[in-house]
Amino acid sequence: MRRSSLIAVTPLLVVLASSAAQAHALLDHAEPRVGNKVESLPHEVTLWFTQKLEPAFSKVTVTNAAGERVDSGKARVSGNQMSVSLRSGGSGTYHVNWHVLSVDTHTSEGSFTFQVGQ
Amino acid sequence: MLLSYARASLWGAAIALIPLSGSSAHEIVGNRFFPATLSIDDPGVNDEMSLPTADSFKTGDVPPVRQRDISAEFSKRITEDFAISFGTTYTFLGPIDPTAAGANGFQNLETTFKYRVFKSPEHEFVMSVGVSVEWGGTGSSTVGAEAFNTYTPTLYFGKGLGDLPDTLSWVRPVAITGQVGYAIPGRNFTTTFGLDPDTGDLTADTEFNPRVLNWGGTIQYSMPYLKSSVVDLGLPDSINHLIPLVEANLQTPVANTLTSGTLTTGTIQPGVIWVGNTFQVGVEALIPINRQSGRNIGVIAQLHLYLDDIDPRGIGKPLFGGPVQPASPFAR
Repeated sequence: MRRSSLIAVTPLLVVLASSAAQAHALLDHAEPRVGNKVESLPHEVTLWFTQKLEPAFSKVTVTNAAGERVDSGKARVSGNQMSVSLRSGGSGTYHVNWHVLSVDTHTSEGSFTFQVGQ
Repeated sequence: MLLSYARASLWGAAIALIPLSGSSAHEIVGNRFFPATLSIDDPGVNDEMSLPTADSFKTGDVPPVRQRDISAEFSKRITEDFAISFGTTYTFLGPIDPTAAGANGFQNLETTFKYRVFKSPEHEFVMSVGVSVEWGGTGSSTVGAEAFNTYTPTLYFGKGLGDLPDTLSWVRPVAITGQVGYAIPGRNFTTTFGLDPDTGDLTADTEFNPRVLNWGGTIQYSMPYLKSSVVDLGLPDSINHLIPLVEANLQTPVANTLTSGTLTTGTIQPGVIWVGNTFQVGVEALIPINRQSGRNIGVIAQLHLYLDDIDPRGIGKPLFGGPVQPASPFAR
């Protein structure tokens, strides 16, 4: 890149970099990992998002293959991380549905599954 | 040299200030993120800015001309579902054949009014309608800008395949978008008067301005969707931000075609978009579908800024209505 071009682009990059904490909260990764298989149902599901969350307006539910809730109901939010405890459950496919509000007032939602079993 | 650096820095500062003082459209519908595609307008409305979009290709003219364009578009939501966008393009026409003349200049300014009529998060489906107005006489005739307005009512849609059954889970990251527009010139024909060089007589050349169907679509495979909604394969982060896609951007004259003919022209555009939190970068090849559409493979690239994410409480929110926020915590 030519030096003059670099000078021209620098202020733009500064704005983009400084605003990196303000955007829609999208799911970055989860534990159990999205679409993966675990041997037994874990004690909790944890989701990490791309932005910080508003605890009062963010929730996650986990249901088993029969559609029954297996989460404790109360999500714990800290920064960009949200967890919910799980009750006991057997093998099968579990559905995780999340709905969050990021600190910049954007709402977003999503879902994924993970498998439990050998 | 120092002066050119100072000018470059001022230009960069101007670019940086625009989002803060004062935006085209990505869209989120349920699990689905529709990126702003480079040629086909995406199906939603938002506060966005494409700055710049640059392309280079060899035209289908005889003799061919090397055309380079630099364009900018700013889209601003008036309400949550209604946005107005403003676009401008500067064109460089460079002769390849020494007998052809070159030219530089602005194309006509364009304004688009767009309204999102339907959005289904559950089915990852969104549809919008809009009208684009190309303001005649605002550009330079030397680069082909017409002297009359052109009005193009357009239907836009997007559909993610996330609602497919588990047996087709690998197809869920696929999304398709499309647009169908009908360009109506403000004048049915243009007559150019001149003098016959041999006889000196007055001549009149009439060209009919056709009504054109502007149509096309995209097919996309979203790696972010694959990771967050289907299966996390543990791929490198750089891969997880990519959306490979193919765009088709086509024009078919359908009425008033006496002098234009009815041949469809356009390009097929395979490429990739890298998606970040506040901006995206895209690059695509421009493959002409026939000789009349171009003489070789060109290229188009774009930096696109998500103003709603860069400045959500300022320029990035609708003028009326503000950002959507639930009135009470979700029921537990």
